[in-house]
Amino acid sequence: MAVPVTAMPIFGQNAAPPAAEKTYQSESTSSAAAPPLPETAPKKLEEPQGFGFHSPAIPSTIPDAVATTEQHYFNAERMETLRKLGDILLPPINGYPGSTQASSPEFIDFLISVSPTDRQKMYLDGLDRLNSEAHKQFRIPFSQVNAHQADALIRPWLRTWMVDHPPTEPFAHFINVAHEDIRTATMNSQLWSIAATSAGERAPGIGLYWSPIDPDIQMYV
Amino acid sequence: MPEENVDVLIVGSGHSGGMVAKILTEKGISCVMLNAGPIVDFQKDRELKPAHELPYRGFNMPGRLPHVFQANEFNANTWVDEKEVPYTFNQDQPYNWVRVRLFGGRSLFWARQSFRLSNYEFKAKDHDGFGTNWPITLSDLAPFYSRVEAIFQVSGHPDGLPQYPDGNFVIDDSPWSGSMQRFIAAGKKLNVPVCKARSAMGRDGLASSINLLLPDAFATGKLTAVPNVVVREITVDKNTGLANGANFVDRHSRREMSVKARVVVLAAGCLESTRLLLNSKLANSSGVLGHYLIDNIYGPGVVCSVPEARDGKAAPGLMGGDALIPRFRNVTTKAPNFIGGYALNVWSSDRAMPSRNFAEYGVELQKNMDSYYGSGFSMSMMGQVISRYENHVSIDKNVVDAWKIPVLHVDTKYGDNEFNMSRDAVDTGVAMAEAAGFEVLSKNYEPNPPGYSIHELGTCRMGDDPKTSVLNKWNQSHDIKNLFVVDGSSFVGTGWQNPTMTILSLSMRASEYMAEQMRQRNIG
Repeated sequence: MAVPVTAMPIFGQNAAPPAAEKTYQSESTSSAAAPPLPETAPKKLEEPQGFGFHSPAIPSTIPDAVATTEQHYFNAERMETLRKLGDILLPPINGYPGSTQASSPEFIDFLISVSPTDRQKMYLDGLDRLNSEAHKQFRIPFSQVNAHQADALIRPWLRTWMVDHPPTEPFAHFINVAHEDIRTATMNSQLWSIAATSAGERAPGIGLYWSPIDPDIQMYV
Repeated sequence: MPEENVDVLIVGSGHSGGMVAKILTEKGISCVMLNAGPIVDFQKDRELKPAHELPYRGFNMPGRLPHVFQANEFNANTWVDEKEVPYTFNQDQPYNWVRVRLFGGRSLFWARQSFRLSNYEFKAKDHDGFGTNWPITLSDLAPFYSRVEAIFQVSGHPDGLPQYPDGNFVIDDSPWSGSMQRFIAAGKKLNVPVCKARSAMGRDGLASSINLLLPDAFATGKLTAVPNVVVREITVDKNTGLANGANFVDRHSRREMSVKARVVVLAAGCLESTRLLLNSKLANSSGVLGHYLIDNIYGPGVVCSVPEARDGKAAPGLMGGDALIPRFRNVTTKAPNFIGGYALNVWSSDRAMPSRNFAEYGVELQKNMDSYYGSGFSMSMMGQVISRYENHVSIDKNVVDAWKIPVLHVDTKYGDNEFNMSRDAVDTGVAMAEAAGFEVLSKNYEPNPPGYSIHELGTCRMGDDPKTSVLNKWNQSHDIKNLFVVDGSSFVGTGWQNPTMTILSLSMRASEYMAEQMRQRNIG
């Protein structure tokens, strides 16, 4: 006795095509040769009761796992300065990625490109000042300074500060805020999360996220 | 079509509105509660996520919520967006108006610090020689504080200090950590008291209107809640001059509607209730509606390290716990350059310290962070803001919100008293830390912008004289007998204290008065 073939639901298509009691030919193809019928047609499943469908788990990832950010905001000189600054302030340490490995400069390029103008100006002026100081003191761009030279340029501007109250002097403000931004972009990256998990940290970078709640139809009139 | 007028219309669903609903419905009075935002579902609306899955890696969307320093990319959707509900201010006087319109309001997210005001605040003019006394004293409010503290399960320890009145506590007899004991000893040398903090434990991790107050009201069958409706104005019977309801707009469809009521209660939060009255052109025969805006000073603080806790060498029980330094200035002595007082929150941490506490980078920064891990000891200020007529809000006729309702213009700033007090708080914290043998890593003297504390108060102040106050001592409008305002706008002044327990107690007291007035048919 032949065993009937049962149609399996795939992504909510839990109603199989009707049982093949007749041939399926549209008018336009009625003159063509009909495809052979399956030996045993699938049976119609019982109608689901109520709202019984549950979304299947669809494995997915973030774009950073398969792609790189198109850098577009900072010009080449500023971008090289930012990359070097990231390498100096947060290099790879103890198996955790550094700024470059986490693509933090590229992320910051994006972030600043969509930021308010005062934050953009802070970055543009700060990167230019850092580069000009390198030229003035060492006659090379900041992107080419060695660790000792970088320290001479950065250390005088490092401050301790409390949340929401970064230094007010413009260049110190830039150095310290950029430092925090580089650390945040890196420590909130997927690579950092993977490294932290490997190191035995529990729930690295995990937070309680609130979805938009019944958002307004005409938000931001 | 509605069959009859509702007994009481309540605008707002936070702590103060929730208390009105609970008290009135338990006395058999039917209430309708309007709320500008949606009902939140804690199971559906939030989930654990890694920062790298968020669009901006946890930075928040640039330019969004610029005046909500508490916002981050995880919680950004809980705050009112100022593009949707704008407000204006002078560019050199920024104001942080931090708002939540979800059902339950800011009671969903408050920090739960639970204090009574003392007579140093209720009778501030008598003590400081400046400002205005409240029309009530601590003894008037104490019975209500006790009932509220029981509902909110306030944990605390009686200390017998008049400036830090004891309450109806779930007694906190937990031992002090070693670092706290050293700090307490340092305080004694400087005549600075260090006490147990006081906090609402609530139930199931929440101390909100929606789980501690509104369920009792709904259980009576007398409360009808309507979310997603934005009240445009309070309406008045032209013949009697009494409030008779409200006009509101459906948040989604923009359908304009009206509701009639015998009594109207505003509980929309200090500035929203004030805005509503100003837009309605009501309850302002005194001319002080919108004036005397106050809050608490937040921002100044000190971060230290306990040397003996570094490099993983903390002895068991050395670190951990928190404490509160209640007001001690201008109690029995007089500070040279400010009136009023401040408190300091104190906490000892066995966790990582923020990198900004070290002027280092790269490998050296990491070495510091590893070494200092679990040695943090911090203080942050909660300071009194002095009530001044000139600190006020008004309607900006040139700007409207998403529902075409004119917005508020906020005109306020801190003065020398607030800045001098902030400096004293930080210097005192540093002195105590050093006396305890702690290393001071960072400090900040600068207050956050006004409003940051989310404790805006005072713009519908209560008083006995209708010529100088908006409300009487029962939170009832002097001008319109069946109109009450029960949120923090009724405050005459403030101290260093988180105002929530006082708002709740005043609301409870006003509700019982209101119910009795309705029973006697004096109102409604």
